Amino acid sequence: MQPGPKVLAYFLGNENLPITDTLLVSWLAVILLIIFAALVKRRLKMVPGRLQAGTEILLTFIVEQIESMMPGAGRKFIPFIGTIFMFVGIAMILGIIPGLVNPAGDINAALAMALMVFFYSQYLAIKKNGVGVYIKGFFEPIFLMFPMNVLGELAKPISHSFRLFGNVIGGGIVISLLYQFAPWLFPIPLHFWFDLFMGLVQVLIFGMIAISYISVAISD
Amino acid sequence: MNLSPELFDAIIKAGAYLGAGIGMIAGFGPGIGQGYAAGKGVEAVGRQPEARADITATMLLGQAVAETTGIYSFIIALILIFRA
Repeated sequence: MQPGPKVLAYFLGNENLPITDTLLVSWLAVILLIIFAALVKRRLKMVPGRLQAGTEILLTFIVEQIESMMPGAGRKFIPFIGTIFMFVGIAMILGIIPGLVNPAGDINAALAMALMVFFYSQYLAIKKNGVGVYIKGFFEPIFLMFPMNVLGELAKPISHSFRLFGNVIGGGIVISLLYQFAPWLFPIPLHFWFDLFMGLVQVLIFGMIAISYISVAISD
Repeated sequence: MNLSPELFDAIIKAGAYLGAGIGMIAGFGPGIGQGYAAGKGVEAVGRQPEARADITATMLLGQAVAETTGIYSFIIALILIFRA
């Protein structure tokens, strides 16, 4: 038993560009999100239909999460934060389907999203206060704290991505252990627990921590 | 005393598996922390039942942050098991 992504092929035969199953499933998630967006966008009405109403409930929920940490900035950050919420959410749901793997169980996918949040929050901090104040922030409260502050900032994307990756791969390992001695019927409730419940809680947590990193970056 | 390569590999594997098991003792910390957060969450809901949704969201976020050290030790254990 070897958890983690499996290499299916190499891109243009190049050994350095492997195509893994998690990569294919994340492309599938992206395509599903594009189709979903196109379907919802095709007929927007003042009196929403069923699909539009459901989408509005989802987006209002995400805007409320952003507003709870950054009052008044909900609509500004909804494209970025909403994409993170929906991509990780659809990745969790795709992970239940037999034969598909959860892209969040690949450290590359989790780290890519965490790094996007990291660079975006640094960019916002520089844009708000200017480079001088940004660099000076690393020397607070005294200049001796500079290495600590830099390390503390660099640890953010690592803990952010490991939290998602560790939870997903931990559930996956428990389920695959159960598949080895009870392959029928018994793993189904565990799928609901680890993939649906814990997975959707992890989506909420991943998004909330992204929001909190951004709100810390633009607050000072 | 001469160690054959097979014995050498076996000792490395044994050390790695033992290390993975010992490293997961770190699971104590997140367990205590998450339980404490859950207990405080129940107390808060008991005091203010109308704020249940906010309390639950805050509790889950705090528990996720408390879980970080456990996740670190879990990843180290995984590396030890599957890379040894």
